[in-house]
Amino acid sequence: MKICLRLFAVALLAALPAMSLVQPAHAESTLDKILKAKKIRVAIDVGNPPFGILNKDNEPDGSDVAVARLMAKDMGAEIEFVQVPSTGRIPALLAGRADVTIASISVTTDRAKTIMYCNPNGALSIVIFGPKAVSIKTPADLVGKRIGITRATLEEATVPKMAPQGTNIVWFDEIGATIQALLSGQVDAVAMTSFAGKTVADGNPDKQIETKLPVTTAFYGPIVRQGDFELRQWINTWLFLNAQNGTLAAIYKKYTGLDLPPLPVF
Amino acid sequence: MNYVFQFNVVWEHFPELLTGALLTIQLSATAMVLGLCVAVLCAYGKTAGPRPVRWLVASYVELIRNTPFLVQIFIFYFSLPVIGIRLTANNAALVAMTINLGAYASEIVRAGIDAIPVGQIEAARALGLKRLHIFRFIIIFPALKTVYPALASQFILLMLSSSVVSTISAVELTAITNSLQSTTFRSFEFYFVATGLYLAMALGFRATLSAIYWAVFVRGREA
Repeated sequence: MKICLRLFAVALLAALPAMSLVQPAHAESTLDKILKAKKIRVAIDVGNPPFGILNKDNEPDGSDVAVARLMAKDMGAEIEFVQVPSTGRIPALLAGRADVTIASISVTTDRAKTIMYCNPNGALSIVIFGPKAVSIKTPADLVGKRIGITRATLEEATVPKMAPQGTNIVWFDEIGATIQALLSGQVDAVAMTSFAGKTVADGNPDKQIETKLPVTTAFYGPIVRQGDFELRQWINTWLFLNAQNGTLAAIYKKYTGLDLPPLPVF
Repeated sequence: MNYVFQFNVVWEHFPELLTGALLTIQLSATAMVLGLCVAVLCAYGKTAGPRPVRWLVASYVELIRNTPFLVQIFIFYFSLPVIGIRLTANNAALVAMTINLGAYASEIVRAGIDAIPVGQIEAARALGLKRLHIFRFIIIFPALKTVYPALASQFILLMLSSSVVSTISAVELTAITNSLQSTTFRSFEFYFVATGLYLAMALGFRATLSAIYWAVFVRGREA
């Protein structure tokens, strides 16, 4: 036993200099690591049409996924998708499971306290949808109604603020559950992006789902960990070039059917 | 990685977490009581009932034990409205938990019943005890005592798996944790504290269940 301990102590002492070598004074930036490994890990949410979906071959697809693929290609890196639910988009980044998250994360000051935004790569509107039979014309009509929203989304950040007291807000973990709740009548109306709402309405014509109230319009962009300035700057450079040459607008049009509004930068 | 932990946000929202934990406890405790009733009835039906009852119980147990809990929850919440039964999220969760626990626990209780020596039951019959009395005093009481540790484990498991019901908007501990972490973005901190709360609840339930065991099966029966 004693010998074991002594051996362990010797081994530990021998390992010390090696350990300190592993962490040089100037740590390698995430961008350096990506370029060296020729591999970038991108967190995506494939449960959020039209930004992230699984296509017929069960492959990730959608406007954000298309942006991610093109970005990785121009970087000369192989792309590794890290599929996360909407609640996992920021945690996956913070936990180091991904280098960047590209999953229609709308820009808010609260989120910017934990992560860094790159410039926007698209815009989305949050709208309240409901069946024709449910009458919602002004925010005051929300009183007494059950409104379904999805956690960790822009609607969670905005709907509770606009809804008057007496609105019954129901939270779901995933947009799929929110949609199911609307279709099964567990909620009277839901708040989601105009694209998601359109997809649901088109897919279920018998439910007569229509737009009730606009909530907000927001811009969304890729996010990186705080301190990853080099990576952020590279992504911003890429976004600048591809906004100029019309690539971003083409991707947006292809997946949403809408024209991309002019993207502000910061 | 240089992540700075900020637990003060968690303490600010601690009362909300406790509200969630309280609903977890309420749901679990109610489901434990109801689930045990279902389990005892099913175990009785399966060991002593007529053939159709035995067949019915067997199908119920196999159906529930061979399908995912999450899917069962979805059926109770999203599919029942189609046939006109609309349960609130909490009620749907409670029903799903009860039915799920009932199936698992009924097999445990049945094992306990099978462990009762046939001679013991025959002796009771010879003494002229009524059917119900035999079941109550000669079969189910010693059976439950035998399988109590296994039942207690199943109960704790149920409490832990109740975290899934946040998906249908029941606002128990996991739901509140998810909401708070998604608005404050302090996911590590909130999940750490939620883990601690689940651990505390599991230990609390274990202690309570042990106390119940002692009060029901041990006290006054030392002789």
